[in-house]
Amino acid sequence: MAKKSTAQAPLTPAVLHILLALSTQERHGYGIMKQVEADSQGKVKMGPGTLYGSIGRMMGAGLVRESDKRIDPAMDDERRIYYKITGEGRAALAAELQRYRGVVTVAEGRLSYGN
Amino acid sequence: MATDAAVRRYRAWYAVLLRLYPRPFRAQFGEGMAQTFHDLCRERRDAKRGLSGFALWIFFETLVGIVREHITHMNQLAKTMLRVALGALAVWMVPVVAAQFVEDWHWGVGGFVRVYLLFFLTGMAIALIARRMDAWSYKLGVGVALVAGFALGWSNMVHVADSGNPANLWYYSVLVVGLVGACLARLKAPGLARTLFVMAATLALIAAMLPSGAPPYLARNMAIGHAVNVVLFTASGLLFRHASLAETK
Repeated sequence: MAKKSTAQAPLTPAVLHILLALSTQERHGYGIMKQVEADSQGKVKMGPGTLYGSIGRMMGAGLVRESDKRIDPAMDDERRIYYKITGEGRAALAAELQRYRGVVTVAEGRLSYGN
Repeated sequence: MATDAAVRRYRAWYAVLLRLYPRPFRAQFGEGMAQTFHDLCRERRDAKRGLSGFALWIFFETLVGIVREHITHMNQLAKTMLRVALGALAVWMVPVVAAQFVEDWHWGVGGFVRVYLLFFLTGMAIALIARRMDAWSYKLGVGVALVAGFALGWSNMVHVADSGNPANLWYYSVLVVGLVGACLARLKAPGLARTLFVMAATLALIAAMLPSGAPPYLARNMAIGHAVNVVLFTASGLLFRHASLAETK
């Protein structure tokens, strides 16, 4: 499948949170969910349908890829598929954060002008 | 409060629900989704929290995901159909334009419609079968086999009509071998490789044994055509063999 470049396109909240969760280390599905929950202070809770649907689209866009299948020592002895962020994923995340900074700068300017 | 039995029961139900996903998605993510659901249930159990409401929410959330993936899948299929329809139209223009310049070309509207359908169905078969595998050699093998099969069926149909020799119908047995072999192999690369080699051997055998009844100049062209088809079937078999070796690595 041809990979679409999404480095410049705005990301959905689910994709942004998944990229953030994977930015520090490889994680399996449950690990991603827990990290997203922690990063958002419990405000974002995604179920398996949203998580894996997003991962599927992100893999199609080349933002993440499957790493390997291994046991998580912190859990049971079941082997889990891990996912990792790609270079394109990091670029998309950096572009999104830059966009957020721009929005914050504009918003702060407007608010201080209003005051 | 959730019990082990309840966790097992909900996991079994969730596995049934996952079957509703489109097959490619289920093959890629089904196992991970089942594991993740199990992890979430165990987390609730360990925290001594209720499971039924939570499971209901996850089931609903997953159901929404199933609908979304089917819509995506349908969109992809619609795009594939459109591309194949346009490709078939481009190829179809060749006989349409050629018929304007060749005097004895009298297919009629029905004939042209059937030809377009043949092009379209061949293209769809290539697109849908090739989608099952990532290996380039499998995709190319499917393309070469279907184009060679199409050429054999088509040229034979024209030749039988021209020569009136029903013995040439034997050539269709090559296509029957291909169809039966593909079904038995369930479109798996190793079985398809064997099928294509048998098709090449069958075609070579029929071409060598069966008198064409055609005039010498036509018989020579037919021999060349059959040799090309044998080479194409063999090449396709080799491509499937390459794909099956890549699979096992």
